[in-house]
Amino acid sequence: MAANSRTLEIKVISAENLQLDRKPIKKNASVTVRTDTNSQFRTTDMDTEGGAYPRWNETLVLDLPTHSKSITVEVQCKTSSSVRTIGTATIPASDFVGGYVPEGYLHFLSYRLRDHKGERNGIINISVSMEAQKMYAYASSTTWSHSTMGFPAIGNKSFGSGVVTGVPVWYGVYQKDY
Amino acid sequence: MGNCFSNDAGAMSAVGGTAASHANPYDAPNDAVDLFLRSRGYNGLFSQIEISLAAVDLRDRDVLSKSDPMVVIYTKGRDGGLSELGRTEVVLNSLNPKWITKQNITYHFEVVQTLVFRVYDIDTQFHNSEVKMLKLEEQQFLGEATCVLSEIISKSDRLLTLNLEYREELGRPNPHRDCGKLIVHAEESFSSKTAIEMSLRCSDLEYKDLFSKSDPFLVISKVAESGITIPICKTEVIKNDLKPLWKPVYLNIQQVGSKDSPLIMECFNFNNNGKHDLIGKVQKSLADLEKLHDSRQGEHLFLPTAVGHDFHNKVLKSQLFVDKFTETVQHTFLDYLAGGCELNFMVAVDFTASNGNPRLPDSLHYIDPTGRPNAYQRAIIDVVEVLQFYDSDKRFPAWGFGARPIDGPVSHCFNLNGSSHHCEVEGIQGIMMAYASALQNVSLAGPTLFGPVITNAAFNASQSLANGGRKYFVLLIITDGVVTDLQETKDALVKASDLPLSILIVGVGGADFKEMEILDADKGERLESSTGRVASRDIVQFVPFRDVQSGEISVVQALLAELPAQFLTYMRSRDVKPIL
Repeated sequence: MAANSRTLEIKVISAENLQLDRKPIKKNASVTVRTDTNSQFRTTDMDTEGGAYPRWNETLVLDLPTHSKSITVEVQCKTSSSVRTIGTATIPASDFVGGYVPEGYLHFLSYRLRDHKGERNGIINISVSMEAQKMYAYASSTTWSHSTMGFPAIGNKSFGSGVVTGVPVWYGVYQKDY
Repeated sequence: MGNCFSNDAGAMSAVGGTAASHANPYDAPNDAVDLFLRSRGYNGLFSQIEISLAAVDLRDRDVLSKSDPMVVIYTKGRDGGLSELGRTEVVLNSLNPKWITKQNITYHFEVVQTLVFRVYDIDTQFHNSEVKMLKLEEQQFLGEATCVLSEIISKSDRLLTLNLEYREELGRPNPHRDCGKLIVHAEESFSSKTAIEMSLRCSDLEYKDLFSKSDPFLVISKVAESGITIPICKTEVIKNDLKPLWKPVYLNIQQVGSKDSPLIMECFNFNNNGKHDLIGKVQKSLADLEKLHDSRQGEHLFLPTAVGHDFHNKVLKSQLFVDKFTETVQHTFLDYLAGGCELNFMVAVDFTASNGNPRLPDSLHYIDPTGRPNAYQRAIIDVVEVLQFYDSDKRFPAWGFGARPIDGPVSHCFNLNGSSHHCEVEGIQGIMMAYASALQNVSLAGPTLFGPVITNAAFNASQSLANGGRKYFVLLIITDGVVTDLQETKDALVKASDLPLSILIVGVGGADFKEMEILDADKGERLESSTGRVASRDIVQFVPFRDVQSGEISVVQALLAELPAQFLTYMRSRDVKPIL
């Protein structure tokens, strides 16, 4: 039986080519990471020097509930008037959990950020590692195939084309295969 | 280098000496400097190796005393020609000599560097001559040994014992004569590994702008043997400051040459139009800068100013200070090899119908009865020739794609050896045999899909991770056509970018491979999957295979030069350290 939640360590490394109103931002970008159940979120400090290519190298620790399918990463920029969202990316849990890599593997992942209109706005670079668990639950598929079951990305409702995310990887019913 | 800085934010940022480029020195965006260096023969980032020699049980040629041996070391070119690299000293009266003189050789990962060692017994009458002046025809030949540099380097103790052979007549070795053994030891010279972090500051800089203070930045250059200066890095621009303190600069001693190599530090005032004014400069070596740091003193900048026809160096009030100076040792590629890491080679061959009927001579898969290798065979040989020394068990997974096995549907990833259980073959011979027999047992079909092969390779890599291996995988895909499943291929590549895997794609035949270049991030943008995930590393390189081979390495082998860098990026970013 899996525990109720697992510890997720996300290091927010950097972002590239962030724009507001079609112009590169000058400074004060920060990143918020949320679980899809919205139960938890953490935010980095603001980057004041990198401009449109900010670099945080900050580690955020979250408790990810077992039934979570994804996490959301949102990049904001503090302007003189308000805090505006530059773009978000949804990271399916299958990208950093399950598969055949060992538990606790440090995944280096990058994602395309999309703004509220669904248009591309930069890239976010992170590294993720999941705390190793005593009882494993692996996906039982033996073939390395792309997940074909899809759920619309949570949090990006204005998405025209729809983003397919992977099947959540651990439930109590899945068993270690070998 | 001239005023080639542009006007946008990138121009004001530091280049070459930043923390990011220090962590991944090969990734530093310094293409212009790279090209400049390459055009003058300084190829890539390489390691200096020192070779020490010893021998046991040498033949005794002298009547009254033992032999007085000396070794001459040659490098053997692709054409078989020998060129002398150096000679050791003469050890008197010993059949088990340990020579002190070390040979320096530059290690290039992508070149098969063949070394030939010839041992001579030096006649007494020459004992007082300079080793360099000795004429070898006048000495007694004791024996010869050959090896490849990577053979020595890839062993964990970097020690290789070779049997010395004596060829009495031209070319015929005499196996019954016991000529003794030569022991070769290789060591990476320390300067390859040492990195220096410096914090530089200036005081009392002069006003160069009309209405505001100067916007200074530093350019650090090294002085090449020919006297020309080659820029190594520049700091970021600090606006409106006459007492600038720049962010730390990271330099690898190898970039510079040695700690005593002269460096020129020039302080410029940044101008938007690209014509930056020189505020002043200083010429110091790293060792001098270290002394400057220890003494906490500054060094006055000087400005070459024209006085009539001459240039005088006007000493300025401005000074350069070194606030911080630390030396750290970084693990190199060879350290990781010694620490148990290895490179595993995998190959996938295109069996689509566009290659042509293998029985006809104009097919890319035609196996010439005279033994002349076809394009596929040549590409495989070129890569395996270099990589085989880094693979400990020499068992290579080999696949084919785009063909129909005897009774079955088209497969986009079948084992070349015909087995349904395991995909590995043994050595280059194993690959060639499996390739030849596969040609007879499958019928070429199509389309050209890379997705399944890449996914399979990624599976191998991740399984090896799960088993605790310290292996890095290299997949060679040889294809004659443009890939048809571009998006699936991108998806597979994005997934694989997080794994210890690099992919080399070689295009053979005359097709237009322009579209394939998209896969190589050097030439395009970062790969993006259909789910919005982006490749975290650039793991693909593509090259069209050219028949012509100029110089010591083929076009395909030139690709291999990037591998140590990709390997190091992977290891260093995950903070994997070699087990030393």
